[in-house]
Amino acid sequence: MNTLGAATLEAFALLFRGDAGLWEIIGISFRVSCAAIAIAIPPAVLAAFALAHFEFPGRRLLISLSNTLLSLPAVVVGLTVYLLLSRQGPLGDWRLLFTQPAMVLAQILLAFPILVSMGHAAFQAADRRAWETARMLGIPPARTFFMVVGEVRFGLLAAMLAGFGRIIAEVGASMMVGGNILHHTRNIPTAIALETSKGNFSQGIALGIVLLVMAFVLNMLLQYFQGRGRIAL
Amino acid sequence: MSEIRIRYTELGKSFARRRLFEDLSLSLESGAALLLGGENGAGKTTLLRILAGLEKPSHGLVDFGAGEVAWQRCRKILQRRVMYLHQAPYMFEGSVARNLELALPRGLSKSRRDEKIRRALEWARLDGLSGARAKTLSGGEKQRVSLARAWLRQSKILLLDEPAANMDRESQLRTAALLRRLKAARVALALASHNHEVFDELIDRRLLLEDGKLHAARAPALPENVTRLAAGRLRRAAKARR
Repeated sequence: MNTLGAATLEAFALLFRGDAGLWEIIGISFRVSCAAIAIAIPPAVLAAFALAHFEFPGRRLLISLSNTLLSLPAVVVGLTVYLLLSRQGPLGDWRLLFTQPAMVLAQILLAFPILVSMGHAAFQAADRRAWETARMLGIPPARTFFMVVGEVRFGLLAAMLAGFGRIIAEVGASMMVGGNILHHTRNIPTAIALETSKGNFSQGIALGIVLLVMAFVLNMLLQYFQGRGRIAL
Repeated sequence: MSEIRIRYTELGKSFARRRLFEDLSLSLESGAALLLGGENGAGKTTLLRILAGLEKPSHGLVDFGAGEVAWQRCRKILQRRVMYLHQAPYMFEGSVARNLELALPRGLSKSRRDEKIRRALEWARLDGLSGARAKTLSGGEKQRVSLARAWLRQSKILLLDEPAANMDRESQLRTAALLRRLKAARVALALASHNHEVFDELIDRRLLLEDGKLHAARAPALPENVTRLAAGRLRRAAKARR
């Protein structure tokens, strides 16, 4: 208990002292995960919309696949991306293994099914009347799409936060394709795993606190926006 | 407003294990109001949605006056020309004015847009509700916003699904008054309604969808209390004349 207490105090000291190494790791984590979620959102939202609004062969199969991939282990994604990017892999010429873009690619693959599945649920819950009303008012399809996105924005926001929460906290894929290289690919989860294995708990706890605070802030933001958009009956 | 006539023939709709209706024919004409009656589940809503190009029939032909074409080939034209108003009209996030603005063509100057919205609010007796959040309006007010959108868009054919559902008498009368004005402006109307007493004087033709077929229906007899009231008034008038 004393060890835990002392380590926690040291963790807060590290955070508030502005430990450069610690904040660099935090910076890398956010940079990689923000890039991954930003790249994944547009195609995922389009895919979710198409799955919810159009009938086409294989639609149900795609929905089942997307839901199945929700429980895809991060290490499996890491392994897949590793095999793709390794020297002998089909994308080996890109020389991306053990770089931040490789981590971004792995995190995109992890976030995509979450965004599609939750986005699909949001669009399905959306009223079909929204699309039909807009089309009958002569509004072009592209603008209608953005109007429907606007109507389900809270569901989509929840999907984005869930996706971001998953990738910023995953360790398996980042470790495998990033290599946990200091100043380059070491992010919060891989640093926690490393520091814990070395017995350096204070830095691990400090980084854990950052993840917890971030999760709290994101959820507060979601609650705030959902509160503002209360359902009108 | 130019005259319009659409004739639908051989309309049929089947689901995997159920045939909803088959070989239906009907036409919509400028300035005429059609009432579609039938039990719940008879297929009134599906039929209206097919007429509006929103739902695919199993088969069907449409004639805009230049010969029959397959429904599938003119779906987009139907969606452009026919306006279908849902039983519970959909309001987009934002104010009533913003919802009305959606029915206006883009590129109008702000002053022209504001003027059109003001006139639409006045037309639909929605004065004072311009800035109200549309999603929080009552059922009757939402219905009037959707009619005002149709009016702004200058829709020539209007299909209404249960336009009097979940409304108080006052709102039903207001909706009926707006429909009368649209009919006078030569808009073709088709209503699927259970509660059609309030629209009775508006209706030119009644069809009953029953067992998958359309039958011509007669105007309902006046309710007993109305007959008694009318008889009382006639007696009083005769007495006064004497």
